[in-house]
Amino acid sequence: MKQKIIIISAIILLLTLVAFMVKDFFFSKPDNTNPYKFELDDLRKGDTAKAVFTETLQFKTGLEEIHGIAIDLENQIYVAGKEGVEIFNSAGKTLYKINTRSTPQSISVNGNGYILLGIQDHIEIWNRDGKQIARWNSCGPEAVITSIAVQGNNVFAADAGQKVVYRYDKQGKLLNKIGLKDPATSVPGFIIPSPYFDLGISKDGNLWVVNPGRHSFEKYTFDGALLISWSKASMAMEGFCGCCNPSNFAFLNDSLFVTSEKGIERVKIYNTDGTFMAIVATPYQFEAGTKGLDLAVDKQNRILVLDPVKKLIRIFQQK
Amino acid sequence: MKKTLAIVFLVFLFAVQFMNSYAIQRFPKPEFESGYVQPETLLPNPRAEMLAILDIAVLIISLSVVSWLVIKKRNRNAVFWMSVFALAYFGFYREGCVCSIGSIQNVTLAIFDTSYLIPLSAIIFFMAPLVYTAFFGRTFCAAVCPFGAIQDLVAFSPQKLGSRLNAVLGVIPYIYLGLAVLYAATGTDFIICRYDPFVGIWRLDASFGMFIFGGILLVVGIFIARPYCRFLCPYGVLLNWTSRFSRKHITITPAECIQCRLCENSCPYDAIEMPVTTKNPEDKGTMARKLIFITILIPILMLAGGWVGSRLHEPLASVNAKVRLAKQILNPVTEKNQPETFEIEAFKSAGKQQSQAFAEASVVLHKFYIGSWILGGFIGLVFGGLIAGRMMTKHRTDYTPNKGTCLSCVRCVDYCPVKLPK
Repeated sequence: MKQKIIIISAIILLLTLVAFMVKDFFFSKPDNTNPYKFELDDLRKGDTAKAVFTETLQFKTGLEEIHGIAIDLENQIYVAGKEGVEIFNSAGKTLYKINTRSTPQSISVNGNGYILLGIQDHIEIWNRDGKQIARWNSCGPEAVITSIAVQGNNVFAADAGQKVVYRYDKQGKLLNKIGLKDPATSVPGFIIPSPYFDLGISKDGNLWVVNPGRHSFEKYTFDGALLISWSKASMAMEGFCGCCNPSNFAFLNDSLFVTSEKGIERVKIYNTDGTFMAIVATPYQFEAGTKGLDLAVDKQNRILVLDPVKKLIRIFQQK
Repeated sequence: MKKTLAIVFLVFLFAVQFMNSYAIQRFPKPEFESGYVQPETLLPNPRAEMLAILDIAVLIISLSVVSWLVIKKRNRNAVFWMSVFALAYFGFYREGCVCSIGSIQNVTLAIFDTSYLIPLSAIIFFMAPLVYTAFFGRTFCAAVCPFGAIQDLVAFSPQKLGSRLNAVLGVIPYIYLGLAVLYAATGTDFIICRYDPFVGIWRLDASFGMFIFGGILLVVGIFIARPYCRFLCPYGVLLNWTSRFSRKHITITPAECIQCRLCENSCPYDAIEMPVTTKNPEDKGTMARKLIFITILIPILMLAGGWVGSRLHEPLASVNAKVRLAKQILNPVTEKNQPETFEIEAFKSAGKQQSQAFAEASVVLHKFYIGSWILGGFIGLVFGGLIAGRMMTKHRTDYTPNKGTCLSCVRCVDYCPVKLPK
């Protein structure tokens, strides 16, 4: 009896294997997923509790391409794009249009209302009436000016092509270079694999520069001494992903960092020590492949995101 | 000390794994040109020709040694240790490739597809065991095939299945062989390799499914000795046929059988045939009627099998990549949120016309139509042969190994009290 049970059980197991082979070969559905595809969907998700911002306003610009955004002291919004600059009030109504002939990649506004434009390898200064005030010298044949910031008498320009930050005076005289690799002073040098290289002045007057290849922020004195840095390399929502991120950043009024990334398009907020604080916009809010989400923060602490694919200025506020 | 070494090994393993995973996740890619030149993709060198020749040499030497041990020395212990060597060399060292069982598909594909260049080792691995079997019986199964060796090691409590059950389950390898040939001939798939139960064990990287598949076979093998060899192995079918005509097959007794019955239960594979007494021999008329019946039955079964097979050619062809693609083009995925299949994406990106895909599928379907007729006819023949075997009475006076199913393991020899004088 025992022998029979053993034989029957063994035969059932054997036939089950045969049935499995038949089922697997003839009746299993082919896997439709591309096995070579780099799946990012899971990385696009974040903690919903951290998503404390909502989009409150968006408006289109009249420019064919848009590359940079800035805010002046009167809370007016400046957008640089193809062969021009467009100026809006805080509600998104167009106030001025300036034809610059060349296409600026970056923009800043100083305290006098002059517009500083980074046009390929040099800086130009324009007023709101569409008049060019100055054209500074070229920074070099490989220069790509991707960010400009003004602090008092100092103008800082980030050159992604030559991987350096220039410090100028108001007249365009080069005072010094910042960030060149120097082991003696522990300056690591900028790693910039893509043309996205941003800098900014925090509310307490410090110069912060993104080192995108290191996924870090570095704080420098105006003379170029490295003070501190923090980095967050991660594919997860809490960090900066890929070869080189964040692509852009701005400061909230309480000196928190607002950052944007490419690859996995997202806008987030970090504390001054690099602690991840909140999600402003998730990848689902952008077209896949969007790059150059330039940022600005106005007096009401609204976060303005320049969306170059949808050609929109998108404004986010805390819920 | 061992524990420390194990921890260091694991830390190293995980560190390497971590570095790999970190390196993969570099997204998005850099955009600046830095003058860096991407190194050429290096492909691993093919296995040195000398090593392929070594495999062939090891196969031939193993077959020769095992055949000598089986036929001349009749030494079970030596045969057992040869099977351990086969397990180590052809199993774990050569990781189950090239293997004689799978070589059926290489040979078939080479016959039907002239563009396929079959390796010499595949031809030798296909032919050599058959040639040795033609002379010495299934000595390859005894101790050269790693599949047999691993199952032999676990056959702790083999049970007798009885001739009917053996005969019924014994049909499966024929069907498997027919399907393997059909799918290899049409360039569809190498199903023997796809469902190789032990390759994951040889390579120490079995997926969960493979591990379960191989594991269940080994568990079954505790009670039903060598279940893969007896009830699945398609190469076993060819060896079975060849072995029936072997010139020198192992015998249980080295001299005259004394009918002591000691060997009766010695074979774990139910391959010993009992003496059939001639007390009630069938008269000539009955035998003639049976012969006529079988002569009529087999062609009918073959025709019926072929017809049924031809009716099934479309389902059989549905696993072919070209047929599947054509079906997907005809019936695209329409569910919401369902992406297009990978095949459709690849087809579109290749810039091919739909008509081209349909034409290619049509050629494959025609091949399957012909192949299914032959496969069905073959299965009909197998069933006919099974019925004929059950009907025809063979007269035997001694206990003899069934030359077709005997795996030449030499177990039975030890049970025979008759010894030749040294």
